[in-house]
Amino acid sequence: MATTLEDLSRALAAAVESGGRSVVRVEGRRRLPASGIAWSDDGVIVTAHHTLERDEGIVVGLADGTEAAASLVGRDPSTDLAVLRVQGQRLEAATWAEEPSARVGHIVLALGRPGATVLATQGIISALGEAWRTPSGGSVDRFFQTDVVMYPGFSGGPLVDASGQTLGLNTSALARGISLTIPSATLRRVTEALLRHGRIQRGYLGVGAQPVRLPEDVAAKAGQASGLMLASVEPDSPAGKGGLLLGDVLISLDGEPLRGMEDLLNALGSDRVGKTVEIGLLRGGQMSNVKVRLEERGKGG
Amino acid sequence: MAGWLDRLQEDTAAVVERARRSLVSVRSGRRGAGAAVVWDERGTLVTNAHVVGRGRVHVLLPDGQEAEAETEALDQTLDLAALRVDVQHLHPIARGDARRLRPGEWVYALGHPWGVQGAATGGVVIGMGSDLPEVGDRERDWLLVGLHLRPGHSGGPMIDASGCLVGLNTMMTGPDVGAAVPIHVVEAFVRDETTV
Repeated sequence: MATTLEDLSRALAAAVESGGRSVVRVEGRRRLPASGIAWSDDGVIVTAHHTLERDEGIVVGLADGTEAAASLVGRDPSTDLAVLRVQGQRLEAATWAEEPSARVGHIVLALGRPGATVLATQGIISALGEAWRTPSGGSVDRFFQTDVVMYPGFSGGPLVDASGQTLGLNTSALARGISLTIPSATLRRVTEALLRHGRIQRGYLGVGAQPVRLPEDVAAKAGQASGLMLASVEPDSPAGKGGLLLGDVLISLDGEPLRGMEDLLNALGSDRVGKTVEIGLLRGGQMSNVKVRLEERGKGG
Repeated sequence: MAGWLDRLQEDTAAVVERARRSLVSVRSGRRGAGAAVVWDERGTLVTNAHVVGRGRVHVLLPDGQEAEAETEALDQTLDLAALRVDVQHLHPIARGDARRLRPGEWVYALGHPWGVQGAATGGVVIGMGSDLPEVGDRERDWLLVGLHLRPGHSGGPMIDASGCLVGLNTMMTGPDVGAAVPIHVVEAFVRDETTV
């Protein structure tokens, strides 16, 4: 009769085996290959942007041992994600764990396929993070911090739970010294946007700003304690054309409060690109509204 | 559910306890301490070449008795050595098969890290074979495991969840990855080097 220890060992190996069927090798850099996750049966693969040093000549190694040329659909450096597509290959798409199922302390496995076979490291979920913004401005819905070892070539591979279901994509490039897992909600949002537009659109306003305390009467009227004072306004930017001035204190955008940079970055999502927005501000002690037509960041901005 | 975790603890303690009956401590001149494993009933012990030199080494057997061992075979490239002690009633370790280990399976490394006798540490199999990044030699098999090997672990047994030997603790290949010489490499070495 198998002991409980043998059962545990077999269950972990089975989780690796079932999760590993959707793990591919991604050859897009000079050194070691990285890993990727089969997103759909018909050839879409998600991987880590930083492991792709080139846009062309990318080769993918599938679980059945075959190799296929992959084309780059798009990248989002701000979340370190990239989407690839292979033609004429059937993939086994990853099965995703139910979002709320993961808890701190749960056993997890990081999988990778830097060579022909799938490799695994094991750890536990150390922390479940809230939604956060990466240093390069990407928005990540929430994150798993784990103590799994990121073996060389594991970036772009999945974090799976004890039943082999995928929790997210591991990357070592978004934050120094810790392995972070990008959750499925973010993967879905970024992958769908990349499949549709080939890039992630971000709104462009053209200002530098810092949070400041609002005078008491304004704070009471606006219902918020702080706003954003403009420290710079780019000429010919949407802000410049719209008449925003140095020293203006931004209070709201389309009625959404701007209490700090985070609020402003959140307000400049892809849905507002090309739209005219109304900015509430404090200028010379007076509250007023200014209309600004947002552009897309990185496009003539 | 608590019962399940209790059984897991008991099982772990049992496999470690069993493997300790085959765990040897090796002292070889100025090289410090390492470990070795009782391989067969004829008094063959296996360990790493870097744990021993040629000639005689001093060993502490699992039952506490001390003995002089003769180095019978040594291969620096494989980092393997076979020793022979003239002692009866040793417990050879149960042998497993590293080629059947799957990534994710649980293993333990036993040895004497920093001189702590008979210590155990655990982790999961990362992979086994010659197709592994960051392991220099692509011509031979390694068993890579997510655990920390320290001075004194070398030459000690790596065992699977059933307590069977799957490799000899040999080195670290990076900050968090332990590497063992898989048992089939040890078997071939002992067969080739100690039979006449």
